Amino acid sequence: MNKKKKLTPGRIVLILFLIIVAVVQLFPLVWLINFSFASNTEIFASSSLLIIPEEFKIDNYIKAFTDGNFLHYLFNSLLVNTLAVLIVLGISILSAFACMRMRWKLSGLVRTILLLGMMIPIHATLLPNYIIFDSLKITDTLWALLIPYVAFSLPQGVFLTSGFISSLPYEIEEAAVIDGCGIFRMITRIVTPMLKAPLVTVAIMTYLNNWNEFMMAMTYLRSPTWKTLPFSVLEFTGQYISNYGAQFAVMALTAIPAVVAYIILNKHITKGVALGAVKG
Amino acid sequence: MNKLYSNKAIIAILVAPGLLMFLFAVLAPICLSVYYSLTDYSGLGSFDMIGMANYQELIKDETFWLSLRNSALLAVGFIVIQHPIAILTAVVLDKLQSKAEGLLRTIYFIPNVISVAIIAYLWRFVFNPNFGLLNNLIKSFGGEGGINWLGSGYAIWSVLIVLIWHGFGWGMLIYYAGVKGIDPALYEAAYLDGCDEKRALWHITLPMMKPVIQVNVTLAIISALKQMETVYLLTRGGPGNESQFMANYLYEQAFRSFRYGYGNAISVVFIIICLLATLIMNRVFRERKA
Repeated sequence: MNKKKKLTPGRIVLILFLIIVAVVQLFPLVWLINFSFASNTEIFASSSLLIIPEEFKIDNYIKAFTDGNFLHYLFNSLLVNTLAVLIVLGISILSAFACMRMRWKLSGLVRTILLLGMMIPIHATLLPNYIIFDSLKITDTLWALLIPYVAFSLPQGVFLTSGFISSLPYEIEEAAVIDGCGIFRMITRIVTPMLKAPLVTVAIMTYLNNWNEFMMAMTYLRSPTWKTLPFSVLEFTGQYISNYGAQFAVMALTAIPAVVAYIILNKHITKGVALGAVKG
Repeated sequence: MNKLYSNKAIIAILVAPGLLMFLFAVLAPICLSVYYSLTDYSGLGSFDMIGMANYQELIKDETFWLSLRNSALLAVGFIVIQHPIAILTAVVLDKLQSKAEGLLRTIYFIPNVISVAIIAYLWRFVFNPNFGLLNNLIKSFGGEGGINWLGSGYAIWSVLIVLIWHGFGWGMLIYYAGVKGIDPALYEAAYLDGCDEKRALWHITLPMMKPVIQVNVTLAIISALKQMETVYLLTRGGPGNESQFMANYLYEQAFRSFRYGYGNAISVVFIIICLLATLIMNRVFRERKA
């Protein structure tokens, strides 16, 4: 290819462009971390972009960690999201197999119905679900989060897995049937292992969608028992309303788990987003 | 094989969980919403059926139209500002083939993995009139500063900035995957024929990316309609209703103004608008393809 790697003026302009975009995307976060180590007086006296704190106020982080309920809410987030991912994967595989492989008249219709959820705005169900959950006495329980999280991640799961299942060759299943394999063993032992790629994508998309969710949690939960990580920020900032350094610290702290997970799973997430988005 | 694969009992067991989930968490609430939208329920106590009165009021409700206008503004912001920069970034990133490619891609996407709660509160500080980053930036260029970015006249634009900034990495990544999917042989052939890079961008990259662009534009319009969390935490739709969006408005009506029935009427219209938007976008792009 005739791609030059020399530093031509054109190339410098392009590199500059990329760097400017990167600075715009990253600088607010750098600023966040910088101010999270500062004291209130330093923050209010600041007129430059970044400040060099006289002493690094680790204290801000200690407050954020203990009074922000960090570990408790992090555990809840991990639990709710992991359960949601597992349920979404399970239901997606079953529905996709039923709609793409089993022979029945309504398979197309049922698949369309399952995909319909993709078009329904999740926040339109906030008001009625509040009444439904309340009358079933499941507000303030794990179910109040799990049910909507699963329901609104399921369409994408069904879409991705069913697309992939239809591309698998029939021969393997035929051979298994001749060997006397039943449907459920077929799904768990033969089909599921072949679906690894789309399942990873579904898991990542489900995590990304639900990890940051707080509107449902805010509406359906009252006590701290099942509240998720965003509430560390929402509650702590209300509690430390005049301690800005500590507020910066709680934001930086609660951002860490997702950012670390992203950096570790970078490749999978990049692939997952690309695969998951092209659903037209 | 045939007999096993058409076993009705097995089929029923396989589709039951998915369908139950849909019925319970999607269809049932929508039906309930339609029912309550015909009442004057406040959220507590008794209520009466009032027919279509909520819908009649909604048509004349200026805030509702303002929310739609704000969604339209956001969609335009996504399409005119966010997406062109995202496409350009993706193309340049691919073209430079620099060692920093992976690092830059990671940086662009980081805001996306951070919770909306953190992003919204961070930007409340960025917009802060006393110590905010934006005012300090203006001061460092010799300006006055001290602007209340979430105040009247500024609020909706500030909300747009945050949303465009936050979603940038997502769009960029999808375009990036699109660029990577183009067959390099196309460029080689074009360069052999004496095509320069600008023309290659116009005549190869963009046309090849058309399906990706169409999907992304559709997603942008839908997400502009569905916007809620960031607005809820940044401005609560205020000051007044200047930066109001539909989802936030229905929530406020139900839980803060205690007009649960009216909130549900907004919900129902909200669903219809989203469905229509999806169908129209699919229709528009399908016709173009043909």
